Amino acid sequence: MLLVFIMLVFFGLALAGLPLVWSILATTVLTIWSYGLSHPLETIFLTYIGGVEPFILIAVPLFIFAGELFSRGGVGERVIRFARSLLGFLPGGLGIVTVASCLLFGGVSGSAIAGAAAIGSVMIPALAKQGYSRAFASALVATAGTLAIIMPPSIPLLVFGYIAGVSVRDLFLAGIVPAVLFGIALMLVCVWYGIRTGCDRGGTRGSGKEIRSSFIDALPALLMPVIILGGIWTGYYTPTESAAVAVAYGLLVSMTWYRSIGWRDLPDLLYRSFLTSAVVMSVVGATAALAWLITVEQVPAMVIEWTRSVADNRWTFLLLVNVFLLVLGIFLEPLPALVLTAPLFVPLAPMYGVDPVHLGLVMTCNLAIGLYTPPVGGTLFVAAKIGEVGIGAISRALMPLFFASLVVLAAVTYIQALPMFPVWLLR
Amino acid sequence: MTLLPPGPAAPAPLRWLGIAVDMAIVLLGAALVLVVISNVVLHAFDLDIAWTTEFGELVTVWTTFLGVAAAVRRNAHMAVTELIDLVPERAPRLAADALIQLMVGGILVLLVWKGGVAADASWGSVLTVLDWPMAVQYLSLPVGSAIALVFVAWDLVQIVRRVPRQQRYAPLGAGTA
Repeated sequence: MLLVFIMLVFFGLALAGLPLVWSILATTVLTIWSYGLSHPLETIFLTYIGGVEPFILIAVPLFIFAGELFSRGGVGERVIRFARSLLGFLPGGLGIVTVASCLLFGGVSGSAIAGAAAIGSVMIPALAKQGYSRAFASALVATAGTLAIIMPPSIPLLVFGYIAGVSVRDLFLAGIVPAVLFGIALMLVCVWYGIRTGCDRGGTRGSGKEIRSSFIDALPALLMPVIILGGIWTGYYTPTESAAVAVAYGLLVSMTWYRSIGWRDLPDLLYRSFLTSAVVMSVVGATAALAWLITVEQVPAMVIEWTRSVADNRWTFLLLVNVFLLVLGIFLEPLPALVLTAPLFVPLAPMYGVDPVHLGLVMTCNLAIGLYTPPVGGTLFVAAKIGEVGIGAISRALMPLFFASLVVLAAVTYIQALPMFPVWLLR
Repeated sequence: MTLLPPGPAAPAPLRWLGIAVDMAIVLLGAALVLVVISNVVLHAFDLDIAWTTEFGELVTVWTTFLGVAAAVRRNAHMAVTELIDLVPERAPRLAADALIQLMVGGILVLLVWKGGVAADASWGSVLTVLDWPMAVQYLSLPVGSAIALVFVAWDLVQIVRRVPRQQRYAPLGAGTA
């Protein structure tokens, strides 16, 4: 009953337009007052601070700053040029280039919205010029942009690692195969679309020289995930420190190699990064306070009991996770959804023989899909705005891409070896 | 050329407060980046800055709660606005905005009050390595919330003066969210 009350109050406030951080805090306070609970508000607010404080979360503003450095440094255009020279000749080639660019850019930025904005602003007009409908072009960017939060470095995976007490290195490694699989599925839809509509049946292959020069130009950016994962894997630095290395590398590449950023740009970039981080972290902290209340009121125990009564094996448990998060993801951004639900699902994972790393990955993939599930979603809105199409049109064009993503989600969920193979290999 | 994005139009003291908050975020952010990078570099020489963790946590907490205030000023907080955007402009929308800001104001008053009580109770405890009072860390919440409350109050004044939304904020545009 408490959980139902919390859900009703929270969704009521959030859908009325109250910003998420205040909706979550107000829900926490109203629950305490309505149920006459004895928890002092000082404790709740200290938990709010405590939700922001952990050292591992310092990586959030640092990864955002590194992503800003690369985005402002013109990495988007360079990555597109490389992907175009390599893959543009295929049927549906320009769509494939869009997906590949989002995937590669995701390995640098870690932000779905930034990926959709950076790649979409260049590729949606180019796709439309090629003959793709603007609705499909926008839907493709909305979908492919979310690869950024599955591909390492991923901020949702980092936060899940902190909540669940799971190795961030393992989570990052587990993200690679699903991100590539989602990318391949979207590319296949592009091939189908290009052939069926006749707008993009393929062209001439890029010359070796062209591929080489565009690769060298994009190489410093493409090396970023390698540097991050390499350092964490060898144990030279922690995930938090890897974010600082990403910043140092981003500064080096953008200021000395690409020469696209000067010293005078840094205050603005720092400000935007830390402001974005504050918005994200305050929601994480507020959700931690609500999650604390839910936990001390024994809600997870009730959820566990209920789940065990309806799910008697790992398959039904994972199905339950999928359905619940796909619905929740329509309304909530990935981070608050993750912070709110991870304390409920993580204790259940070992009871069903699910590796917590696998669970984190499945949860993140579900919430990534939520970013473009109509009618509400972060990348859905960004892409619709860039493509100048209505939510109805983009939602219809999205359907084949959505179903392709659901197929991959099912594979990633039920074939544990797919995401976990690199983890098992390097454990 | 300005080094920071311009803020919304406001009386001089509010503008200065906004600029001070923005500059504090940049300076603290730069300090955090420098300290963590330095610590990684020192690993190569088998050295370590012992206070990196505590300093990092302290700065993260302060940049977050000052950032919350800056985001209030720029209307940059994450929100589901699809339903409220259906409310017609002018009077009904201004009334809805006023209601939302009153709710935000109510929560901020609680954060300043109860957060202040919690911070005040922690002067006796100290951070292990830095040896600074815990209150230095916990004060970030009431201080950031008090500044946010000032910006919310100013927004309510503008709503009463029937200033439309487009003129009340200076959004940053597309960024990394």
